[in-house]
Amino acid sequence: MSQLSPILPLHRVNTLTGVRTSRVVEDPKDIVKQIKKAQRPLLVIGPLTTKVTLGDKLLIEYAIDIAKAGNIPICATGTTKAKLLEFGVKPDSVYDVVEIVNALKDPNWKGVRGEGNHDLILFLGIRTDLANQGLSTLKHFAPHLSTITLCKYYHPHADYSLPNIRKDDQWKSILEGIIENLKTENR
Amino acid sequence: MELKEINKRLEEIYEKIKAEIKWEPIGPTPMPEIADLRNWDMRLLKTYKPFYAPFCDMCCLCTYGKCDLTENRRGACGIDIATQQARIVLLACLIGCSAHASHAGHILEVLIERYGPDKKIDLGNGVEVEAPHIRTVLGLKPETLGDLKIAIEYVYKELTHLLDSVHTGQEGSYLDYESKALHASMLDHVGMEVADIAQIVGFNYPTSVADTPLVDLGWNAFDITKPIILFVGHNPATSTVVVDYLRENGLYDKVEFGGICCTALETSRYSDKAKVVGPLSRQLFFIRSGIADVIMTDEQCIRTDMPQEATKAGSALIATLDKVMYGLEDATGMDTEEIVKKMVEEKKHFAILDPRKAAEVAVKVALEIAPKRRKEWITEEEAIEFAKKCGLCGICEQVCPNLFEIGKGINEVAKGNFEVIRDIFNLCIGCGKCEEECPRNIPIFKIMQQAASKEVWKIRAGRGPIMDTEIRNVGAPITLGTIPGVVALVGCSNYPDYRDLAEIVDEFAKRKYIVVLSGCAAMVAGMWKDADGKTVYEKYPGSFDAGGVVNVGSCVANSHITGAAIKIANIFAALPLRANYEVMADYVLNRVGAVGVAWGAYSQKAASIATGCNRLGIPVIVGPHGSKYRRLYLSRKEEDDWRVMDARKKQIVDTGEPSPEHLLYVCETKEKLMVTIPKLCIRKNDTPQGRAIKLNHYISLYKKYMGGGLPEDLHLYVRRDADIPLVYKKEVKAYLDSIGWKPKEPVGLPTWIGTYPTKVPVDAVIH
Repeated sequence: MSQLSPILPLHRVNTLTGVRTSRVVEDPKDIVKQIKKAQRPLLVIGPLTTKVTLGDKLLIEYAIDIAKAGNIPICATGTTKAKLLEFGVKPDSVYDVVEIVNALKDPNWKGVRGEGNHDLILFLGIRTDLANQGLSTLKHFAPHLSTITLCKYYHPHADYSLPNIRKDDQWKSILEGIIENLKTENR
Repeated sequence: MELKEINKRLEEIYEKIKAEIKWEPIGPTPMPEIADLRNWDMRLLKTYKPFYAPFCDMCCLCTYGKCDLTENRRGACGIDIATQQARIVLLACLIGCSAHASHAGHILEVLIERYGPDKKIDLGNGVEVEAPHIRTVLGLKPETLGDLKIAIEYVYKELTHLLDSVHTGQEGSYLDYESKALHASMLDHVGMEVADIAQIVGFNYPTSVADTPLVDLGWNAFDITKPIILFVGHNPATSTVVVDYLRENGLYDKVEFGGICCTALETSRYSDKAKVVGPLSRQLFFIRSGIADVIMTDEQCIRTDMPQEATKAGSALIATLDKVMYGLEDATGMDTEEIVKKMVEEKKHFAILDPRKAAEVAVKVALEIAPKRRKEWITEEEAIEFAKKCGLCGICEQVCPNLFEIGKGINEVAKGNFEVIRDIFNLCIGCGKCEEECPRNIPIFKIMQQAASKEVWKIRAGRGPIMDTEIRNVGAPITLGTIPGVVALVGCSNYPDYRDLAEIVDEFAKRKYIVVLSGCAAMVAGMWKDADGKTVYEKYPGSFDAGGVVNVGSCVANSHITGAAIKIANIFAALPLRANYEVMADYVLNRVGAVGVAWGAYSQKAASIATGCNRLGIPVIVGPHGSKYRRLYLSRKEEDDWRVMDARKKQIVDTGEPSPEHLLYVCETKEKLMVTIPKLCIRKNDTPQGRAIKLNHYISLYKKYMGGGLPEDLHLYVRRDADIPLVYKKEVKAYLDSIGWKPKEPVGLPTWIGTYPTKVPVDAVIH
């Protein structure tokens, strides 16, 4: 055996595959394409959406518009349900984030509308360290679904993630782009 | 195993637990080994399945790897990602358990040397069941310090076997690793109990009393005109000797002393003159203030850069335990005066492992150097001048583990506004990364200190075990549900917001839950005053009763909280506990509405304490960053198996009631925590009156913190009309009617015994 492998160095043994990390998406059209491709998407909305303002609106208003434009069922975590009700939206389900992730792991779960488990999960407004852990769970234990994060931070464990976004205007424009493109697709 | 071997093993165990003393019949699992309680664990894990959130995609533990474990890959040894997570969790629990067990072993060694092994265990008139864990797990009724040694040696032996199992190429099942983690963590509660009983006996800590002294809390409690000795860590072997030295040498009122973290609590149990500076998160702040003349470290949760920090602050440092020596010269054998001289003149730090010598040196050095040191907080004007150096580069914010807007806060200080930085201080975990990375060397911590509260609060000194008389009084109302629950706030200070703690205590004590505290949580809960200027310790009685706020003491005193749950089964329900772990755990799980909350958990000790609670049937809630422990125990309420045996009818009943719903759970926000606590106190054993009281709190807290309406899962907890709280009757009935709810019979005597393979007969749970 040669001392120097023509293929790879010894320090890459067993990690040749590389750990799977998120694909960065910035173009709203790419995100909408994934949503339209999915049969049963789900939007998980966390409590940060009730606290963060983007432009002159709360983040939760963008979430509601995405759900409405894409006819995507909503799972409200933490304290999010009350704010959704204030905006006249009844969430399809209420779970805490670890509970919804736990249910999503099961390929035979009935889903929030009783129509079967979801194949694409969009996340917005979950505390980032908790979200990172939950996404890690789904990456490892839920190969039957894909994940997209819509927060302004890169989430390596998601399948698709927005990049780290410094300027809120850019984030706002992406979220608005998703809403517009979903509306256009539905026309 | 051959019969002969089994007999030999039992013979050895019986000798150790003094089986000839017939204080109770010996149950099926004396001194259990790894596999002895495995069936109980598997039953737990069937309903509360491990939920893994890998913190790392790889395994880096041996030279086969590192190995990528993503996408169902196995490592070169064959391990998969779930098993690797369980293995790391076991390792964390072993670290936690060994920290307490080692503490216990050291204290025992010191006290046996001082008093001999025959020193009697006497916890006062109120405590006859002195060691519920040792009695339950080992089957031994310890009467002397020497008996405690038998218990700790058993823990050491099991720890070795468990640690062995994490070696590469051993256990291959995540469920078995979980069973081992549960075993390790059960042992942790034994180790903690050994430590605290020994301390109470050896140091004459308060016991059999609820109304322990109120001691000063907060860094402003120190009189900075006097020499100050600060203890950091968890082990009081040296701090108590310092107090003795001061007393013996007429210096008790001339030198100030106190601590950070659990040694503070321990020392305040020894002397009510001891100040409790605060929790772990205040450690670096206080060290950097330079207020302490001498710092004495012992073990656990101490900064690993203490020598560097002490030097920067101009404080003298003595490491007093071999577990933490910092590379310092061991001066244990050196002449006392010579050590003092070197510490004063050459500003050298030393390790001194003899408590008497360390105490004498600490006091002498403090007396010498205190008058020469400048000890004062920086002024507002100084803080503003420092803040003006900020170039707003933002690096401090990028390295902050919580991404706080520190730069913005500092910039506001430069304009004379301290509000923003004060708010950040209240949330800060005190890691010091911001100051370390600041390119302009701005003393951010000193600025925060200036902004921080100058209050002095009160904390009730740790009271040790819950008295048997108290258990007799509350046993019935707890198991019937008329005391709605026992909430134990434990663990470290990595909080989302430290102010949450007092709010939680106040909310549940007001509602007549029994609130129990320990460790850093006990300190942080005291750092708030109501409109009348009272802390929760001044506002509520210290008794283990409805509406009581009980500080049991330091981390190792956590064993008294779980011990109280065992005592309810043993003293109130009269179930024998001797070597009878499954019966005790089954009783606690199904009938004792207790929940642990480790809202700021950070350490491996918190992992083992929580997992030990879980094996005993007590659910635990952790804060959002608790997800970094990698593993939770979750049920799926509408899909999981909620069947129990009705022990009276000997029938298996499908209750459909998820109580308790989870065993180890992460709450995303404080608001969610406030509604999860009452829910996790619900038990199948509740009487209609008790259930109505519990649901009343569940609903009213839901309305208060979740913005109105009714809990989405309320229907799962209403068995019959009588369970519905009167005040919400109309609203709840309308909801139940709308979803087609049907009443169901409550279970007479719920138990898991008889639902899984066990040597325990069902009749064993009937009292």
